[in-house]
Amino acid sequence: MLNVGNEKVSLCSGVSRRGFLTVGATALAGLNLPNLMKLQADDAIDGTRARIKNCITIFLVGSPGHLDTWDMKPDAPSEVRGKYRPIRTNVNGVQICEHFPLMARMMDKVSLIRSLHHRTGATHENGQRWMMTGHDFNADSIKPCMGSVISRTFGQRSELPANVILPGPIGNTGAGNLHGQTAGQLGSAHEPFFLGADPASANFRVADLEVPTGMSGSRLDARRELLGQLDQLQRRTESRTTNMHDSSYDRAFRLLTSQRAKEAFDLNLETARMRDRYGRNTLGQSCLMARRMIEAGVRFVTVNHFDTVFGQTCWDMHADGGGLNNTYFDYERHLCPQFDWAFTALLEDLEQRGMLQDTVIAVLSEFGRTPRLNGRGGRDHYPQAWTNFLAGGNIRGGQVIGSTDRIGSRPHDNPIEPPQILASIYHGMGINLDNVTMPGPGDRPVRLVEAMPIPQLF
Amino acid sequence: MEQRFEGRPEATVRLEGRRLTRTDVTNDWGLRLQWEIRRNGQVIATVNARPDQAYEHADTAPGEYSVVLQMWHYINYAKNPQGEFTQSRFINVSNVVTYRI
Repeated sequence: MLNVGNEKVSLCSGVSRRGFLTVGATALAGLNLPNLMKLQADDAIDGTRARIKNCITIFLVGSPGHLDTWDMKPDAPSEVRGKYRPIRTNVNGVQICEHFPLMARMMDKVSLIRSLHHRTGATHENGQRWMMTGHDFNADSIKPCMGSVISRTFGQRSELPANVILPGPIGNTGAGNLHGQTAGQLGSAHEPFFLGADPASANFRVADLEVPTGMSGSRLDARRELLGQLDQLQRRTESRTTNMHDSSYDRAFRLLTSQRAKEAFDLNLETARMRDRYGRNTLGQSCLMARRMIEAGVRFVTVNHFDTVFGQTCWDMHADGGGLNNTYFDYERHLCPQFDWAFTALLEDLEQRGMLQDTVIAVLSEFGRTPRLNGRGGRDHYPQAWTNFLAGGNIRGGQVIGSTDRIGSRPHDNPIEPPQILASIYHGMGINLDNVTMPGPGDRPVRLVEAMPIPQLF
Repeated sequence: MEQRFEGRPEATVRLEGRRLTRTDVTNDWGLRLQWEIRRNGQVIATVNARPDQAYEHADTAPGEYSVVLQMWHYINYAKNPQGEFTQSRFINVSNVVTYRI
């Protein structure tokens, strides 16, 4: 259990043996400077050519229907084109859904990729694994998420971990727990740091990062000493991976006692106007927190827009009349406006602070939705075609990459697969994909992804 | 993690002739924001109020018009068999202004 926010979070890696320490060290990535220097010396990373220094991923759990959002087909039959009308954007010839009026004014910063597809089954988890890691995998060979690869490659830049997920991990989406949001074989030192609390909650407090009430500095020091003794004892018997846990404990204490870290998590340091501009909701405040994390030195932040597809408004628009009953009403009143407000706030804010050139925002999802409306007016899972997009980070905005056929059922030109998105981000960050590897089965080095970057992005 | 929405949204609407102007919304939940326009008490239009802070309704049929700014209030996911929400609803977040044509 990690007790960093207001809610306890279970970690896949499991650190309960150290449950007495209320800050979870496993979530903190290693400083890793020697690794970075070695990679630079080996020409595996070229920082001077890096166009991207930071990444914020907004993951739309449940997946928007591409025909109802960013790949509209107004001339298609009504059962295909759906309910909404397209609107013009500030880029000639590019139209998006009427419920993204603010994004339409910033399309010159956005690169829409309309020909995404993957070839595995239409479960949420398959799509999550593809988009988060660039791989399909099973429990025997868990692949690391992008943030963990970045953490391992570049290391930690400040007291804060390199890889953060807000507000919490993806939970139940129907078919198992392999969501692709862990460090996999990279080890616990590169596990994402989960905030585990809702920054839109009125009682959200940074106090959880502070020394627990009643614990004096000397008592904390005593615990650190005791922990050190336990670590020494266990190093003799445990694996290399467990030792990576141990190597992070000092950093956990640094986080616990760092004023800078406390301030980074404190949204009350923002003006009320700024908080309103992002939206006083879980997504908006998580996006604002993401900007604060990047400012404070975090390299990779993932914002999960929802943690489940069951029993609550989310993008999973089956309209099934039961527990998966998201409909057009959810889209037009809640989801599209909420995303439009938060996403454009983040773009504007990063730009005004001079951070947008260094920071890429990747808006990702698991798949598209069926070209034809189902019998209840919803759309079901459809990995054969969908649209995601990138903005900032010196990528070329104001363009559409790829297209789908006249009913959005297949890529028509320039088909793109999820690993190409990851390859593009890694490449943009200066990683030489031919030289940087990660440990595979039996510690054999394997490529980060089996794909090339999308050249049109740069 | 169920979503949370902080505070209660509020804005002020001013009327000059038929032209409506709104302030920024404080405690903005970031959900659908719309002008609700009524003529003689009947809703005749709901128009997205996000893109611009000013709006003038084109309808000039005679009658008494009242306009208020509304925002979607997500309470929970409960819906009826037609897929319409049963508890979540639009709420007024501004003063009501009226004019007569």
